[in-house]
Amino acid sequence: MASTTESPATDVAVDEQLDTDKPWIVLVWNDPINLMSYVAFVLQKLFGYSNEKATELMLDVHHKGRAVVSSGARERAELDVFRLHEHGLWATMQRDT
Amino acid sequence: MMRRRNSGPFVAQRDGTYFMNLAPDVQAMLVHMFGELRDVLTTGDSNEPTLQRLFPVAYHQDPESNEEYQRLMRSELVASRLAAISRAVEVIDTAQNQAPILTSGDMSQFMQSLNAIRLLLGTMLDVSEDDDLPGHSDLEDDDPRLAQHHLYAYLGWLLEASISAQMNRGEIR
Repeated sequence: MASTTESPATDVAVDEQLDTDKPWIVLVWNDPINLMSYVAFVLQKLFGYSNEKATELMLDVHHKGRAVVSSGARERAELDVFRLHEHGLWATMQRDT
Repeated sequence: MMRRRNSGPFVAQRDGTYFMNLAPDVQAMLVHMFGELRDVLTTGDSNEPTLQRLFPVAYHQDPESNEEYQRLMRSELVASRLAAISRAVEVIDTAQNQAPILTSGDMSQFMQSLNAIRLLLGTMLDVSEDDDLPGHSDLEDDDPRLAQHHLYAYLGWLLEASISAQMNRGEIR
């Protein structure tokens, strides 16, 4: 029987293609030790954010538990995570959903 | 004669550097703590929970990728931390009990090392979000942890001062 429906294998391939197209995001998580001023300062220093933007992200981290501070290719995200870890921030990365 | 402004632990100079306005015994204490941090990083058990705080998980949803990341990047992170510590100690040692002068880069290395000590100490003390003033906690006067809480509070004040000095200088946009 003829069908226009694509095979499951093709569907998976398409899903994987779409998945790999998604950027990686870098998250900073709340922790009880880092000073709020320090987190905002590091975000300005590393990413060039304005004081207002960095403060907004810092407050998201503080009140919501986390904030996305950068996004892009995997290699770039790994570099951002490394630089945040150098500064003692609790940063992780994941593919955007 | 122009008087040097005595306005805090870090005073911005006209040439772009910072004057460290700390007593020699405080400088010596910082050098001692930086040395302890160096020892922990070079000889400590990397799986020890306190030390883990300096090496956070990178891929929290993917243990396999995280393992690979740690395998590749952990030694670089240790090297970066050790370089920052070495520079911070060198700046103070070079001053030989005079006022240390920090360049913008030195200030950054100093700040990162100071924060690393604070992270370790805060983890050891199990600081929580509610501990806004850990030095004013409910510890008894003779509790040996009280001195550590005071030190933790002092390091926070010092870190805050270094941030303020850099912000006022406009080190960042």
